[in-house]
Amino acid sequence: MATDINAPVDNSDPPAASGYPGGGYAVSTDNSSRRKLYSRLFYLLCVLISGLSVVVLGVLLVSIGWQGHSRLTWDLLQNSHSELNPESSGMWPSIIGSVFICGICAASALPLGIGTAIFLEEFKPASKPLRMLHSFIQLNISNLAGVPSIVYGLLGLSLFVFMFNVFGRIQVNESSGTELFGVSHYYQVLSLAGGGHTVLIPQEDESQKTIKIDEPTQAVSRDGETFELAIWDPASGQPKPSDPEVRKRTVRKGQGGGAYSETEWYYLRLPFGKSFLAAGLTLSLVILPIVIIASQEALRGVAPSLREASFGLGSTKWQTVRHVSLPAAMPGIMTGAILAMGRAIGEAAPILVVLGAAVAKNSGPQNLMDNVVTMPVLIFNWAGRQQAAYQELAAAAIIVLLAVLLLMNSAAIYLRQKMRVG
Amino acid sequence: MVALLALCALMTIGITVGIIVMLIGESWNFIQSKYVSLSGFLTGTEWTALQSKDIEKAEFGIWPLLSGTLRVTVIAMCIALPCGLITAIFLSEFASSRVRAILKPTLEVIAGIPTVVLGYFAVLVVSPSLQFFSGGGFDTFNATSAGIAVGILCLPMVSSLSEDALHAVPRALREGAYGLGCTPFETAVKVVVPGALSGIISAFLLAFSRAIGETMVVALAAGTRATFTADPREQSQTMTGFIVEMIKSENEYGTVQYFSLYAVAMTLFVITFGMTLVGQLIRRRYQEVYS
Repeated sequence: MATDINAPVDNSDPPAASGYPGGGYAVSTDNSSRRKLYSRLFYLLCVLISGLSVVVLGVLLVSIGWQGHSRLTWDLLQNSHSELNPESSGMWPSIIGSVFICGICAASALPLGIGTAIFLEEFKPASKPLRMLHSFIQLNISNLAGVPSIVYGLLGLSLFVFMFNVFGRIQVNESSGTELFGVSHYYQVLSLAGGGHTVLIPQEDESQKTIKIDEPTQAVSRDGETFELAIWDPASGQPKPSDPEVRKRTVRKGQGGGAYSETEWYYLRLPFGKSFLAAGLTLSLVILPIVIIASQEALRGVAPSLREASFGLGSTKWQTVRHVSLPAAMPGIMTGAILAMGRAIGEAAPILVVLGAAVAKNSGPQNLMDNVVTMPVLIFNWAGRQQAAYQELAAAAIIVLLAVLLLMNSAAIYLRQKMRVG
Repeated sequence: MVALLALCALMTIGITVGIIVMLIGESWNFIQSKYVSLSGFLTGTEWTALQSKDIEKAEFGIWPLLSGTLRVTVIAMCIALPCGLITAIFLSEFASSRVRAILKPTLEVIAGIPTVVLGYFAVLVVSPSLQFFSGGGFDTFNATSAGIAVGILCLPMVSSLSEDALHAVPRALREGAYGLGCTPFETAVKVVVPGALSGIISAFLLAFSRAIGETMVVALAAGTRATFTADPREQSQTMTGFIVEMIKSENEYGTVQYFSLYAVAMTLFVITFGMTLVGQLIRRRYQEVYS
């Protein structure tokens, strides 16, 4: 199609303009040479302005490479952000964070998006009101694609982080919302062993944040075994136990302890709070319209004859979708999905809104409710600082981010090529 | 199974409803506050939500943020619309397949660059060059450098959507124009572009709403002072820029400043949603006029 349109136009490029059939007539009037001049000038303008985008891209890549190449070391990939020591700051936690968030995002946006696309493309209703609903959904999706990502961020903040405060609010050291599973609450009490050795006492009343040990109770060691906690009362005149093993199971009478929670990786609570689960789900809202539109285009590209053949063999609508349309459209859908994930990895605004701007985190997420740092947020933080060292780090982190994107896009192109062969 | 798929589709409507309910609900909290009045918000020309230490003295008038957004957007559009359209004309009317093979991927790469990278580019390259060429007439953070970066961001979008529209113009129209003795310039500008006008206008509107909603570039490059002026050399906090600034300040949930976030987001949403909707409607209405 593209080449069909271009073919005759290409032949009439200004250099070839002398080939006009009416050339003799045109030359004889004054205004024709002016018109040809305009045409040539316009062509020149087109070339210049189109070339501009190539130049801009070149300047962008060169300037960032120039600024960041000196920081592109293993330190950058292995270390975490440091306020005091920009020389050895790195982005390892942010890489892990981006991967986790994108995983959540893909797991929620892809099924939802592909399902919607199948519904819109394969199950077109016949009755009038349903058809109107259908086209309304379609219009709505195009509109969602135009909503600024930061508005999705605010939606994520209300919907996932606070859940409209239905389940209570999460406040540090006061309330952790409604906890579903994966967490056990303890009091942490110093034992006699010294060196900061502590024992854990199961918490019964969650509203009570501290405890005072006056009598022997059940306790749990750090290794998870339950034992009877002994009490040593200095006032009683008994000597302090000398055996280190006994000391580990004994606390001073009147010793206080604070609340302590131990979480498993599947720890889940409502609302989600500033967690990477909430961030991933928010991001899935951002890329959902992109996934839907790409999948729709892929499904539209499946030849109708394939479906008709399937119907002719007596398959039902769902069987046709499941075994004919969907496999045929799969390469296109996957290409669109990878491009959407590329968008998700580079997206900073919604994550900034949901997780906040803090970047001081030195590991990946420990459980589903843990906060993370992502690459774009880290870049934003570094780029906003005055020190030259952080500016260079930002450029180096951008190089890493662009490399990841390049990798993903190559995968998409590879899939597209493979689809053509198939 | 069909019911499940229909549920997926209805979920997208749920998202829109969720956005609207959330924005209206939280903005209502903002308007209810005793420090704020609706008329003051809609007509005020001072915005000092985060600068004022004392909440009594804080001013909540949306116009400085709106003017900042408009300044950045207008500059961006001055770059993206003409350049995008001309690139589209070049791609669809003149470019040989070899040039296309370079230009198309370039545009796709620019379209795929994360916006935070373009923001960094604006701070690193655009703003210092502006200061250099103007002899220091620009602030370090200014509307122009942010606008230029946003313009670069919108250019691929304008050119690819316009190119689609230009492609949809049937070949017969071009051949007719050439047959009447038009030069390539006249064919492109007087026949093909008017024929694709609805698609081009819808592309412009979509780019406009994208530029208004752009966040990371302005958060990095446009500064944090909300100014009510038309001077593109000054700092200009935009609506999205304020939202980021507010999030970074970590005000507690429930304060007036916190709820002002939603009032600003509501304004942003109304503008962008309206523009996208009009753009979509124009495209839908005139899309198949040739087929």
